[in-house]
Amino acid sequence: MMVRYLKACGHALSSLRLTVVLLGLGMALIFFGTLDQVHLGIHAAQAKYFRSLFVLWKPAGADWSIPIFPGGYLIGTLLFLNLVAAHGTRFKPAPKKIGIFTIHAGVVVLLLGELLTGLFAKESMMRMDIGTAQTYSEAPRETELAIIDTSSKDDDLVVAIPESLLARANVIQHPALPFTLKIVKFMANAALAMRSQAPDAPPSLATNGIGPNVVATEISRTVKQDERDLTTVFVQINTVQGPLGTWLVSNALGAPQSFSYDGQTYELRMRQKRYYKPFTIKLLDFRHDIYPGTDIPKNFSSRIRLIDSRQKEDRDVLIYMNSPLRYSGYTFYQAGFDNNDKTSILQVVKNPTFILPYIACGLVGAGLLTQFSMHLVGFLRRRRP
Amino acid sequence: MRLIRLLEPALGAALTLFCFAGCDNSKIEVYRVEKEHDSQTSPILEAPGGSSGGGTVTWQAPANWEEQPSSPPRHGTFKIHGENGGEAELSIIAFPGDVGGLLANINRWRGQIQLPPLAESDLAQVVTPLSGSSRISFVDIVSADSIKDGKKSRILGGILPLDAETWFFKLSGPDEIVAARKDEFKKFLETVKTEATPVLASSAEKSGSNTNAPTPPVLATTAVQPDYKAPPGWIAQPLSPMRLASFKITGSNGSEADVSVVSLAGMAGGDLANINRWREQLKLPPLSEDDIASISSHVNISGHDFLVTDLVSAEPLPPLNHKMRIVAAASHQGEQTWFVKMTGDVDLVGAQKNHFLDFLRSLSIARATRSDESSAQ
Repeated sequence: MMVRYLKACGHALSSLRLTVVLLGLGMALIFFGTLDQVHLGIHAAQAKYFRSLFVLWKPAGADWSIPIFPGGYLIGTLLFLNLVAAHGTRFKPAPKKIGIFTIHAGVVVLLLGELLTGLFAKESMMRMDIGTAQTYSEAPRETELAIIDTSSKDDDLVVAIPESLLARANVIQHPALPFTLKIVKFMANAALAMRSQAPDAPPSLATNGIGPNVVATEISRTVKQDERDLTTVFVQINTVQGPLGTWLVSNALGAPQSFSYDGQTYELRMRQKRYYKPFTIKLLDFRHDIYPGTDIPKNFSSRIRLIDSRQKEDRDVLIYMNSPLRYSGYTFYQAGFDNNDKTSILQVVKNPTFILPYIACGLVGAGLLTQFSMHLVGFLRRRRP
Repeated sequence: MRLIRLLEPALGAALTLFCFAGCDNSKIEVYRVEKEHDSQTSPILEAPGGSSGGGTVTWQAPANWEEQPSSPPRHGTFKIHGENGGEAELSIIAFPGDVGGLLANINRWRGQIQLPPLAESDLAQVVTPLSGSSRISFVDIVSADSIKDGKKSRILGGILPLDAETWFFKLSGPDEIVAARKDEFKKFLETVKTEATPVLASSAEKSGSNTNAPTPPVLATTAVQPDYKAPPGWIAQPLSPMRLASFKITGSNGSEADVSVVSLAGMAGGDLANINRWREQLKLPPLSEDDIASISSHVNISGHDFLVTDLVSAEPLPPLNHKMRIVAAASHQGEQTWFVKMTGDVDLVGAQKNHFLDFLRSLSIARATRSDESSAQ
């Protein structure tokens, strides 16, 4: 019974009509996703349309949403199953079809590669001034609330709470923290001003730190590539003895705010999400060369020192355009500069499946070549008298 | 059977990946890291002698000031002896960025001589611009009570905001010694010179960074700063790559306005595009070419033709929920277009409009026009 049921499903999945429908849905998804980039920006549009099972629609003012269209993950997965099922039913293994099989294997690897890249690849930025060293990179768009126990002389204990959790949680507790956090108000993006500049603003929700002197106004998330959201949260610290107070934390605030509890000192800092590395990169020099007599950039390069005591690495590396540093699963690209050429910005990419698109292209290429060659040979044979 | 054999692992893989897709990165992370030291977050300052982030800074100290050895972030230290014994110290320090802004720095100095912090609106009482085109803000504060050895303390300061850093010239010590040197200190500040280096304008204004985009960033200017006379109450601000001059004005009710002088290559989009850009900033609908004449006028200032526009928002705008106003002037000079713009609270900008026009008349842009030599350096 079960086998018959699976067979029926398999036959339905292997349908060529389904392939055509899925390809049509995929084209429509790309069309509408591309149009919506104007409103959402490229990253939010990618997450909503392509890296999701369903495209969700949220009515204005509602706190629920409904699926209105299949997302990229669903269409891609169904295409993948459709192709596999087709090989279980319609395609019979035969030497003369080796080319077709190889092409389809390439398409399967390509679909899987995109899915795995979406799930596992991480892109971040490393921003360094000349002469400084860094052990972490920062996510350009994600933020986190870091609660840092600075009481130890040697090191700091960091509890990093991601923005996505702050956005949906009311109370956050963690075994590493002797208190709980109540999220009084979360603003994905806000405009901040000093209270002296906005005397008519309503009183602050914050009671401690710089918060009472700051007016935070919630604004919509930015869709511009060169801007970032200023995540702002009012967070209340509650202990068994009662609340310690409410702080305003925002990545717009430069200096961390601190408080003491139970003999320990803690810092509160909203910052770009950090990815720590087991090695250190030190920026020795940054060069921004232009063609003589013009203002046209000729070369951007960063000379860095790579220090990894575990691997006994200690060497200079020159990173320049199209010549990244690949080390320990990370790729460091020269991505930008700032601060009158005294700051270099490296893009740090970790993509464990970066090889899959290359394999996929190789398979499809080899399959096409095989198939065409076999047809050509057959054609030439038939033409012989 | 072959179909089931093939579909089983495929379905398994798909379901596993669906599980991953359903998960988000909402996990709290706990880890230990080395304490962050200053060396990890601030640039290493160069050797004493006045060369640092925004170019080279030089000065000429009177011969009777006794120079002391200095190390970064200090670029100079002098001992100044009083006529009846005792001594004051002059320190010259540069820090990256604006170090919290003028108000924060003055309040830091006030705290050192046990004075309460000032409000933003009181800044004009203790800060005066130096004569000439110097961008140094001069500060004079004296303690209310005796601080050391039964004597009042006084701080004379000069704050110079540059592109990427702020320079502090601070003479501190007993009131009687420091007050006697006030004119000498002012003359010393007038000897302070900056040689700015050419900078590239950023296309990423808010993030403040340049990326390796295929098209080169727009070249802002220039090796020479424009000459001007800042009206009273206009506080010089640190310069950004785009800004050749920058001021903040604070009204008596705490409202603020911002003044900027910017020069861009070419026509910078043309008059209509620029006016519509400013209108967009005030949430006003765009105009057509025919409407420009009705909302702007041509003014000849020092032989240069400026198109002057005065725009007011229709409704209060965030973050302050005040009505905003922009008074802006644009002039095409050779291969450059100059913009002088005042933005801020509608009442404050209205009150400062005459000062703005005075500032425009004082602006000498002929010397600051970009030359090939300077841009090729």
